[in-house]
Amino acid sequence: MAAGEPVQTAPRRTSEPMRLTKPDLNLMKTLHVMKLDFLPPAVLAAALTCATPAWAQQPAPSAPDNAPFDAEQLFASTCGWCHSDGGRAAGKGPQLMGTSKSDDFIRERIKNGKPGAMPAFDGALSDAQIDAIIKYIRSLKPQQG
Amino acid sequence: MKKQPSYLAVSVAISAAVAIGATLAASPAFAQSVDTARIEAGGQNDWLTYHGSYKSYHYSPLAQINTGNVANLSVAWIHIPGRSTRGLQSMPLVADGVLYYTGSYSRVFALNGATGEVIWSYFPELDEGLIARQTHSPYNRGVAIGDGKVYVGTMDGRLIALDMKTGKVAWDTKLIDSQKLTVGFTGAPLFAKGTVVIGAQGGEWPGRGPIFGVDAATGKKKWEFLTVAGTDDAMKTWGSDSWRTGGGGGWMPGTYDTDTNTVLWGTANPAPLYDWSGADFKTQGARPGDNLYTSSVIALDVDTGKLKSFHQELPHDAWDFDSAVGEFLMLDRDGQKLVVHPNKSGYIFVYDRNLAVKNVWRITQNSNFVKNIDPKTGELIGRRDFAAGKVEEPLCPHISGGVSWNSGSYNPKTGLYYKLGQEWCMTLDVMKTTPIVAPQAQLNIGANFKIAPPPGGEIYGHLDARDPVTGAKKWEVRFPEPPLASVLSTGGNLVFVPDSRGTVHAYDADSGTELWNHSDGTGHQGGIISYSAGGKQYVAVVAGFGGMASDDYAPTFGGVYKSMPRDDGALIVYSLK
Ligand code: HEC
Repeated sequence: MAAGEPVQTAPRRTSEPMRLTKPDLNLMKTLHVMKLDFLPPAVLAAALTCATPAWAQQPAPSAPDNAPFDAEQLFASTCGWCHSDGGRAAGKGPQLMGTSKSDDFIRERIKNGKPGAMPAFDGALSDAQIDAIIKYIRSLKPQQG
Repeated sequence: MKKQPSYLAVSVAISAAVAIGATLAASPAFAQSVDTARIEAGGQNDWLTYHGSYKSYHYSPLAQINTGNVANLSVAWIHIPGRSTRGLQSMPLVADGVLYYTGSYSRVFALNGATGEVIWSYFPELDEGLIARQTHSPYNRGVAIGDGKVYVGTMDGRLIALDMKTGKVAWDTKLIDSQKLTVGFTGAPLFAKGTVVIGAQGGEWPGRGPIFGVDAATGKKKWEFLTVAGTDDAMKTWGSDSWRTGGGGGWMPGTYDTDTNTVLWGTANPAPLYDWSGADFKTQGARPGDNLYTSSVIALDVDTGKLKSFHQELPHDAWDFDSAVGEFLMLDRDGQKLVVHPNKSGYIFVYDRNLAVKNVWRITQNSNFVKNIDPKTGELIGRRDFAAGKVEEPLCPHISGGVSWNSGSYNPKTGLYYKLGQEWCMTLDVMKTTPIVAPQAQLNIGANFKIAPPPGGEIYGHLDARDPVTGAKKWEVRFPEPPLASVLSTGGNLVFVPDSRGTVHAYDADSGTELWNHSDGTGHQGGIISYSAGGKQYVAVVAGFGGMASDDYAPTFGGVYKSMPRDDGALIVYSLK
């Protein structure tokens, strides 16, 4: 094979301990509210070592502001195959974290997609859901310190 | 090596070819009827069904092109189907010198196999608004032929029959409410005994993944088998009403066992793809239970669609390593009738004709979703069931699979099975999602993830030459990026591999020595066949990249993939100079 050597861009995960950032501390609070002792150890460990999935442990109905919670789930279910790491990294689609695109552009792209690249979600997602997803994209932070 | 033919012989051959070409173009009445017996026999000049014949060898006995002269192989003709969004993925078929194939948007072409001249074409009118909402679309993987018609599925849920000679619509049957379920048909249908069988997409789309049997003569639906909870017993394997949106489907054509009048089919995965159940998947999580008949091989009566037997390759598939691969090698080995079926995970299952497990072997190096699969019973040993949260050790293989949905090739002369394996992994973060209880137009994946190299190594792909029953390896050729297309082997002792960079390679079937290669100008991810027209052997391959697996190549590998189009493609046909 003479053509260009393959370029590895997929980073390996490190097992370094994570520094607790502000959102992590907020999560710890959330978990306290949720009564830590009732969580199975595996879930608890996962929740404590990773910022994202802990949101998923929140019981939806009782969450005071469940918009980010819904959006993250929605994103993982319908967008995450193409926008890797919950939108934090480029995959089939571009990285969305830190995007310079306007809300209008993002709304337009989600509604109409792009033929052969991204499906159109008009009809599948409500305007409120799309707004929640835009908020979620704007709130994305790197997962590792 | 053959002797040079005399001048006279050459001129006779040429005039015969011209005459046949003219007949084909003027009056395709030349075509003989294609029926079940003919597909079973798999005549050596033709390629009558997706997998070559019901034996599903993807093998052509033709030997005009062989190890001695393959160096002289060059392009005979090219056909451009146009509008190749997400590339070309079709397996061409050939009957009596006429080649039938599809482009994206279910465009169907009948071409003169010797010249590429268009005999007829058919572009269905499709619901484009619906197609814009689909993720696995608008590619098409080919047609079926039989009883004087050509059959093609559409993304908006229809099965259409065209007159084989004229391309005129014979019937057009709506089988799925795609507006409601978003899914349609991308896979080729299977023709068997007057019935056309086609399976719907499903997998991560929340529906019940039907497979249909349709009367070839009238287009009337004869039966429908639901791969999600299609029987009372299966219903019990879906807790919390999760069967309503269970996914499933059977989007690649399987095959037909003439001895028992049975259709063998592979089914897709349950939804959501990733479950947060943890080890208690029988009672906990998004879809508690084994989730029958997803990620299974099933045997259906071709006339009634009744389930005769099945084996669930991955009970409660928590990794999207489905059984949708349509390859069922029908082998006769030491008086035993065996069936070989690759699972997407990279484990290859060997069954008897009643789908009882005879052996299981693995083609991938990097695999950790289970510790092993018991070769005697098919039972999963040491399975990894994730709870919600970040998965510590990367999951291998990657969601694109240890093998592609494309097919390998079995050469009865060497007794070897030529099959591509893929070495890649993924980081994974499983989400606890709110149960989806009504079918809706949305993917249902349930995790965030990213492609990753295998622990301590790099991503690569490999062509293996193995015993299909024991898995014993004779040789292996490695590729820096996994090839995704189908493989062809021939009576000329050759194995053809169309790779992802766009090069077609020909190897010596005994040794794996590369004897020839040629660039098709863009990546491959579809079919390759060989046939004979006017006494001359051809190799036909589709080129054109794009789709859920190939779209990862530019961000992962860079290089030639960065500029590779995802909306282009061609059918390229080779012959000896
Ligand atoms: C099948 C893969 C796929 C899915 C599913 C998908 N996308 Fe995309 N997305 C893409 C691709 C590819 C692009 C780049 C399109 C282009 O060429 O401009 C993109 C672009 C975008 C952009 C514009 C980014 C930019 O910088 O231009 C946004 C925002 C976006 N996607 C959000 C989403 C959201 C939200 C979802 C889920 C509701 C989603 N996508 C689902 C593949 C996908």
